Amino acid sequence: MAAQPPRWSPLEQEQDRDVRALIRRLTGLREAQGGEVPGGRFQTALIFAWSNFRFHRFLDVSSHKVERTIEGIYEKLIVHSDLSKAASWKRLIEKFLNSPLPSTEETKTDAHYAILSLLLCLSDSPSNTNYVEKPRDKEVEKEEEFDWGKYLREGEEIDFGPDIDTPDWSEESEEEEDAQQPLSREDSGIQVDRTPQEEQDHNKKTVSQVTWKVGEPDARSWLEQHVVPQYWTGRALRFSHSLHLHSNLAAVWDQHLYSSDPLYMPEERTLVTETQVIRETLWLLSGVKKLFIFQLNEGKVTVRNDIIVTHLTQNCLRSVLEQIAAYGQVVFRLQKFIDEVMGHSSESVIPGTISTPKKTTEPPFRTYQAFMWALYKYFISFKEELTEIEKCIINKDKTVTLSIVVDKLSPRLAQLKVLHKVFSTGVAEVPQVPPDTRNVVRASHLLNTLYKAILEYDNVGEASEQTVSLLFSLWVETVRPYLQTVDEWIVHGNLFDPAKEFIIQRNKNVPVNHRDFWYATYTLYSVSEKMENEEKMSDNASASSGSDQAPSSRQHTMVSFLKPVLKQIIMAGKSMQLLKNLQSKDDYPRQAASRDAERKSLYTLFLESVQSRLRHGEESVPDIITEQQATKQSLIKMQSIAERHLELDDVHDPLLAINFARLYLEQSDFHETFTGGDVCVDRSSESVTCQTFELTLRSCLYPHIDKQYLECCGNLMQTLKKDYRLVEYLQAMRNFFLLEAGDTMYDFYTSIFDKIREKETWQNVSFLNVQLQEAVGQRYPEDSSRLSISFESVDIAKKKLPVHTLDGLTLSYKVPWPVDIVISLECQKIYNQVFLLLLQIKWAKYSLDVLRFDELVNATEKPQLKEGPQLEQETVPQFGSQTEFIKQQIHRMFLLRVKLMHFVNSLHNYIMTRILHSTGLEFQHQVEEAKDLDQLIKIHYRYLSTIHDRCLLREKVSFVKEAIMKVLNLVLMFADRWQAGLGAWRMESIEKMESDFKNCHMFLVTVINKAVCRGSFPHLESLAVSLMAGMEQS
Amino acid sequence: MVVRVRKRNTLSLSLAIAADSEEILNTGLDMETLSICVRLCEQGINPEALSSVIKELRKATEALKVRQFMKNMQSFCCCCCCF
Repeated sequence: MAAQPPRWSPLEQEQDRDVRALIRRLTGLREAQGGEVPGGRFQTALIFAWSNFRFHRFLDVSSHKVERTIEGIYEKLIVHSDLSKAASWKRLIEKFLNSPLPSTEETKTDAHYAILSLLLCLSDSPSNTNYVEKPRDKEVEKEEEFDWGKYLREGEEIDFGPDIDTPDWSEESEEEEDAQQPLSREDSGIQVDRTPQEEQDHNKKTVSQVTWKVGEPDARSWLEQHVVPQYWTGRALRFSHSLHLHSNLAAVWDQHLYSSDPLYMPEERTLVTETQVIRETLWLLSGVKKLFIFQLNEGKVTVRNDIIVTHLTQNCLRSVLEQIAAYGQVVFRLQKFIDEVMGHSSESVIPGTISTPKKTTEPPFRTYQAFMWALYKYFISFKEELTEIEKCIINKDKTVTLSIVVDKLSPRLAQLKVLHKVFSTGVAEVPQVPPDTRNVVRASHLLNTLYKAILEYDNVGEASEQTVSLLFSLWVETVRPYLQTVDEWIVHGNLFDPAKEFIIQRNKNVPVNHRDFWYATYTLYSVSEKMENEEKMSDNASASSGSDQAPSSRQHTMVSFLKPVLKQIIMAGKSMQLLKNLQSKDDYPRQAASRDAERKSLYTLFLESVQSRLRHGEESVPDIITEQQATKQSLIKMQSIAERHLELDDVHDPLLAINFARLYLEQSDFHETFTGGDVCVDRSSESVTCQTFELTLRSCLYPHIDKQYLECCGNLMQTLKKDYRLVEYLQAMRNFFLLEAGDTMYDFYTSIFDKIREKETWQNVSFLNVQLQEAVGQRYPEDSSRLSISFESVDIAKKKLPVHTLDGLTLSYKVPWPVDIVISLECQKIYNQVFLLLLQIKWAKYSLDVLRFDELVNATEKPQLKEGPQLEQETVPQFGSQTEFIKQQIHRMFLLRVKLMHFVNSLHNYIMTRILHSTGLEFQHQVEEAKDLDQLIKIHYRYLSTIHDRCLLREKVSFVKEAIMKVLNLVLMFADRWQAGLGAWRMESIEKMESDFKNCHMFLVTVINKAVCRGSFPHLESLAVSLMAGMEQS
Repeated sequence: MVVRVRKRNTLSLSLAIAADSEEILNTGLDMETLSICVRLCEQGINPEALSSVIKELRKATEALKVRQFMKNMQSFCCCCCCF
């Protein structure tokens, strides 16, 4: 075996040669020259190798097995976060399998797999190596280094003249692989796309390439002369071109000027070609800063003076270029904004807004970021278009002239103009405001500007369809943070707004479980553009209404698009927060989490609605990328995007990147929006534009908010009514304050009235409370602990009148949170006023009721008996008339009593039945139908003010009340005298009482009748009728 | 001529790719050895057998080198002792 047997086939001989070579390489042993030394080390190795090759026990290579192993390694690399390695591994394998081997033309043969299997067998922990993929072309070039040189020089004199016609190999190599592109292109005379600022590294590259390739010292100058004329260096050649008149217009014009104007001095000018001008134009529009023809000086783009093309006069060229320069400046301005928001720029700040240096430190808030992102996306598509044109120029397929380019770009340029307009009003010209609300103002100003612009262009109709769709897409992007804030707030009750850009902000110092929560927690910022300052509309405004209170002169005082639903948003947000707080003790979080997983965010819903609206009429609705489709591949793609973004901040962490990617993938729309694809509004293909933008909003955005509003407010109402017994508390208030629990309260107040009648002290707080507890405890044990009564002495001047004795009695009911949001202390005050009035009426009624006829009769008889013997002699003649007189007096008192009773009872009936009961029924009805807490509070207030009004407690009708009080007072005095007995009576006092009562009665009847006749107080009718009845009898 | 050049290109390409993958796998083969291996594989040598041979030869060479080194050291020490 050691010897080479003569019968070996050529293949075997070749194998043997290779095996020997292998052993030499591996062991470093040398084959013994001349003869074979059996047992020599080399021979032993050779024998070992051959025996292994021939008599092994391995199976043939299985391509599946190899592929499985390769996949395994790929996964291993992914697991190790070596994503770049994994990607290049996959690519390399793919490439290898698809490239022919030295002696095999086909791809993916067994030999391929054999080689791979060999490598895999030999591999040693691939995850531990530091592999950085090298650009392939270098190696290929090295390979060619000697080859090409030799080949080119073969049999000919070295002549690298400009006319060198590259032979067929240039095409050959070009079509074969991209790796050779740089080289072959330069050789074949195709201009390499190169911007001036890239020039340096290009030059380096060129130099090295040239030295490899040609080895001539003046290769660079050769390149300079033949590849790209360096017009930017100023020493451009006056290259020759057609001598046709048309292409020499500049020279002809120059000649003309020279001959006609004796003072004309031709200046030194740089001659450029139109292609160069076009390309610089494209570069300018794509945001390149260092250009030759266009120069950027302190943010202004100017056109170079000394530029000339052969076929145009200088002025003509200049006027065209100046137009373009204006657009270039727009691009720069927008680009600068983008850079600033991205945090790339070292320069400070946003143009216009900047007054304080502090601003550079704080990151831009989310609305600006979103706007920036929208702009960025727009620019990506714009740049794509520019690149398309540039490719056209490079390929030289079509005629491209400056005017064609400008024409082609004209829609884009118009869009740029609109963008700039929006940008300069929306971002640059922000009104100056105090620092703490700056972001709110800026964000809402921007959104308003966009909104107004859309409305403006929308009104024009079809003429500005493009513009509207552009603006709409911008707006949709920009509004995203706002909608997310709204979403977070109305769904989770959490107003998350770290940059303070939302128009509603939480006041930090009010805890949720406080009774002021509902009123004082949020501040609505309303930005008035006309006055160019902001004002705070605090608490109540935000609670009750955002839109009603703003005067019409400040039409756009806040983010206008939210205006129609602002109230709902506020209500829903507050309700949600309250609800969350109420339910936090229960199993709410778990429920929420499970619900949240399925929920679509408001923004997504909005986008979907908009999409379906815009595609209305079109049948095919493109599939929306769902989470299920987010496969590993898109994860990798995402990861690379995320990594790129991280690298902008000098963070190189594949794990972080992959986690970011995962995170973003969870949002189904991320892929579309983040990769710069045009998602939300398909700008190009919309057949239906967003005609009547407001309608679009109304049908796409507001319903979602409304739905959420109804849902969470309904939930809150449900919770309050069910778990927190709101209705029961309201009933309790009516029971005790409005004396609806008649029997209970009767026990309470009669005990007080009895004490007063007996002239005992009743003001003792403990006595009052004991009475109250005794009365309430029997029938409403759970309320008795909450109820208490107190007495404050009021000024003595009032006290003189007996009717005011009761003043100062205050009933209080401890309402637990959160019901105290509805039944506040203010409400209790009103309840108390009514309570006091009722007590007074009850007292009057009671004191009349308890009078007995026999009391008076007895009282008259007693003095008669006592005084009888003494008076007998003197007054005998008058005795008959005396008795008559007393009888008459008693009769008059009876009559007066009945009149008074009639009056008091009428009043009592009116208030207890006509007012309190019927209004109470209405109120109950409304409470059941209340949609949100705010409405409920309002209903409750309205109810209170109604009963307050109808009980004549209002200031405006105080004269009526006074008259009534007078009557009541009269009643009390009357009852007092009655009990004191007839002796205390004088005829005059009875007469006075009668006339007083008559006056008051008369007055009341007149006033009330008048009011009834006017029809303004229909409820007073019954009172009027009953009082009238009393009148006629008298 | 063209064909030759082309062939050379493809060879270098596939080899370069193989070398790159080899670099990831950390097999420790140099370009020349790799090209020999590629040739052998193409000629139908079983890759696993080839890899086992390579490993064995590497091991043996290593051992040989160690032995050589020890020997040198010994003779060096002997020389020192003689002095």
